[in-house]
Amino acid sequence: MSRPVVVWALAGAVVVVGMVLLPSQLYTGQVRVVTAVLMFVALAQAWNIIGGLTGYACFGQVAFFGIGGYATAVLMEHANWSFWAALPVCALGCAVFAALIGLPLLRLRGHYFAIATLGVAEGMREVVTNLGWLTGGGAGITVPTVGGRGTAWLGNDGFYLLFLALAALAVAVVALIARSRFGYGLRAINQDEDAAAAAGVNTTRAKVAALAISAALTGLVGSAYAFQQVTIYPQRLFDVEITVIMIVMVVIGGAGTVLGPLIGAVGLQFVSEYLRQHYPQEHILVLGAVIILVVLLFPSGLAGVRGRSGVLDTIRAYRL
Amino acid sequence: MTGARVLAVGAALALVLAGCASKGTQNQTGDTVNLGASMSLSGALEKEGKLTQQGYDYCVSTVNAKGGVPVGGRMLRLHVDYQDDQSQPDIAGQLVDQFNDKGYKLILGPYGSATTGAAMAVVERNGQVMVDSSGADDKLFSKGYQRTFAVLSPASVYAASIVNAINELATPKPRSMVFLSADDGFSKTVAAAGEAQATSLGFTVLPTQQFPAGATDVSSALTKIKASKPDVIVGSVHLAEGIAIVKQAAELGVQPAGGFAETVAPPTPDFVATLGAKANGVLSSSQWVPEVKGSDAFVGAAADYRNGFRAAFGQDPEYHNAEATAACLAMVLAVRNAGSIDADKVRDALARLDEQSFFGPLKFNNRGENVTKPMSVVQIQNGKLVTVWPADQAAGRLVWPGASG
Amino acid sequence: MSALAQATVYGLLQGGLLAMIAVGFSLVWGVMNVINLAHGAYVLLGAYTAWELHAAWGLDPLIGAVAGGLLMFGVGYAVQRLLVNKIVNAPIFLTLLLTFGLQLVLVQGMAVVFSADYRSIATSYASQAFTLQSLAIGDVRVPYGRLLAFGLAVLATAALVVFAQRSRTGIAILATGMDRTAARLMGINARHVYALTAGIAAALAGAAGALVGLVGTFSPPDAARFTLLSFVISVLGGLGNMYGALLGGLVLGVVQAWAGQYLPGTWVNAVAFAVLVGVLIVRPAGLAGRAFYEARVEAT
Repeated sequence: MSRPVVVWALAGAVVVVGMVLLPSQLYTGQVRVVTAVLMFVALAQAWNIIGGLTGYACFGQVAFFGIGGYATAVLMEHANWSFWAALPVCALGCAVFAALIGLPLLRLRGHYFAIATLGVAEGMREVVTNLGWLTGGGAGITVPTVGGRGTAWLGNDGFYLLFLALAALAVAVVALIARSRFGYGLRAINQDEDAAAAAGVNTTRAKVAALAISAALTGLVGSAYAFQQVTIYPQRLFDVEITVIMIVMVVIGGAGTVLGPLIGAVGLQFVSEYLRQHYPQEHILVLGAVIILVVLLFPSGLAGVRGRSGVLDTIRAYRL
Repeated sequence: MTGARVLAVGAALALVLAGCASKGTQNQTGDTVNLGASMSLSGALEKEGKLTQQGYDYCVSTVNAKGGVPVGGRMLRLHVDYQDDQSQPDIAGQLVDQFNDKGYKLILGPYGSATTGAAMAVVERNGQVMVDSSGADDKLFSKGYQRTFAVLSPASVYAASIVNAINELATPKPRSMVFLSADDGFSKTVAAAGEAQATSLGFTVLPTQQFPAGATDVSSALTKIKASKPDVIVGSVHLAEGIAIVKQAAELGVQPAGGFAETVAPPTPDFVATLGAKANGVLSSSQWVPEVKGSDAFVGAAADYRNGFRAAFGQDPEYHNAEATAACLAMVLAVRNAGSIDADKVRDALARLDEQSFFGPLKFNNRGENVTKPMSVVQIQNGKLVTVWPADQAAGRLVWPGASG
Repeated sequence: MSALAQATVYGLLQGGLLAMIAVGFSLVWGVMNVINLAHGAYVLLGAYTAWELHAAWGLDPLIGAVAGGLLMFGVGYAVQRLLVNKIVNAPIFLTLLLTFGLQLVLVQGMAVVFSADYRSIATSYASQAFTLQSLAIGDVRVPYGRLLAFGLAVLATAALVVFAQRSRTGIAILATGMDRTAARLMGINARHVYALTAGIAAALAGAAGALVGLVGTFSPPDAARFTLLSFVISVLGGLGNMYGALLGGLVLGVVQAWAGQYLPGTWVNAVAFAVLVGVLIVRPAGLAGRAFYEARVEAT
């Protein structure tokens, strides 16, 4: 391992330890706000793999979130699984689902891929809504957390740690991919897919793998989210707005970088939280204006503003 | 970095830091009763959220105009703090947690069954107490929660009360009914209970047609039922679907011999405003009508409520306003009876509450539902809502058949 | 049989209006490679314009459609000139982000200015209908309001095609869409052409909004639904063809109507999206799409 990697890994570890200690300094509601930030860090990083690194704008990412969440709820409610058994199975299930839809859909390029995945996500929502006997349909489904069934609810601090772990995992996965041969292949596909194929990259395999990894991470988050919320509804679990927020966070931060989505997710969540608390009536208006300003002032993403550290430069060299 | 960028980054950082620094002030100050309300101030339920907010605001100004809330010999001012949940259940839950941080133990409900369900779970966990003004789905109250009380009649009576009214009042008595239902939990509960009631009263009930909640095109449901010529079409819907049923039925020539009945949509002024004359004859159930008997120390009688609300907002209150005012009123009465703003004492006072009000009786069963209150049935006649059922509230006769054709 | 015929007619009428909502979105996407997430908000702005004119002076929504179209042309032109043009060369995600911000501002702004009330423009004729009688298939009702909206939508789309292929400005728009650098070398002012394109798209959206107000209801949160519909229809039809959006809209309308007849009503949307994904897998460039814009030369 080269020195910068060790330095960054150490810095990451320090941040994580600091974050573990943070809840003791916060009230419940604040812990919950930070938990939401961590959730979006994980989601943004997951989208970054397929959207940022590979350059395939997946507009249906929320499908994996919803499938993860609903699979967890169904396994816990109908099959009496514990949450800890359901969590990895849901991630795996999402990866398999992503691979299956990826094989036909990843042949589509650009917009057509975007809209096809959007169609999958919207379609999955409708399927879940219509399988009322299994999923509760529009009335929602409740994860068993009391009365000796299912898994006891983790408490706000417990969920904080769970989402912290997922966020750290997502960042680590992106960091590892970004430096790996696999990651270079993805960037090559992003820049020129035909050239990448000519240079010996098995583009189909690389793209499907990227989508599957991205889906697995998203499914993990969806699974944890369902458990945290206890009662979930198809409208929210397959909300296209969640996909849009993931994309916005990645783009604001800088697509295809490791730190960019992190900065984007943390920044956007805190700004929107601040605005909601202080301007309950007009916060969305202000948020929209802030986003417009950010785009006009920082057209290359906020990560492009940061200093000149070695790793960031390396990463930026391969950016979009 | 250019100057503008430095400035922008600096501004953003300052914004975020200010946001963090201003959190965590535990302020339940001595002379105010602070209520927290997570509300749909934006998003899909914004319209209904704003109506609920008006209802709460009216309660606050009325109570404060009477000197405030009497608590243990002192008069405390009433204040409601609103936060926007963007019509999303997960955000509603988070906001109730944040109110808890600020020491707000007394919560007024958000708008809608999904958001209310999320808020209920958090209220239970944090030892807060909530009065629900709009979450009517019976399923919410079967989870064993002990700290949420709903002033409104549950979903199961929305359509059933209309069926009862038709059964008692309509001549010639219709033979067949069909339910058209949105596919959200609340609407499905409403439709199922309505069907059960209609079947038990001997009506022929055709198979229920469902469409996605929020649909503005219900033409396929109407085309499917057209051939079977039902006498009454009952929509278990919200505003958008409710308007679409009447509008598209006219376009498609679906004319039930008896008429249309719909839950939720017709009492909203937008229903008459958008449909004009076609709205006439449509039946609906209402959580509140101006003819409700009973009065209370703060709002007065139902007529006082209507007059006062009209003076404050320039329009007549509809039932979404009234149920919100009633929820806030129930909280105020419970605080008065408890002589304290302590959450446990207020909860016990709510459980024991047995008061008459402009909204009718406020008395909760052990699940927290206000089951003693009947649901009124109204009909749109000449663009106005007229209460036609039950008999002791009726302000006019049922016009039957209701369909104007 | 009668029910199926009725559903087909109704679906076609509905599809025409959907096409008019989507055609501008498709144009902007095809020419500028910009996905305008504020498109649904443009539709609503047109609807509110027509509504206000109707409320204030009793103007018919068809006049309102013209007024809404003109107003939205100005809005679309200005937004493109002042905002989107600044970053039009940037990756597609960035314009996406910009228009996302714009749609938040517009939708919330409309909620503040017009309130979140549900609105509809009441006319004497919109819900009236005439009946097509036929012994073979039974009676089919054709509502005037929807027929009018359908006719206008088809006319507007056809006019757009003629304009794009025959007029000097239209050809300049297409040329800029294919190769901006070359177009500029030929003396085309790309900034102005882009703004014109955005203006035309917004004008069609605004006029479609007035027709939405004529046949249905609207409120600010509907914006996202209109944008999503435009997205689906554009791709379903195929981006490279001017008629693509019209075809996409009609197909979507009829598919939904048929699904509504043969399946439980709640499956309608699932079927629509299944058709979308299926079409893309079989015909990756959409129903009528050509590999037209795919071969474009991006300005560097």
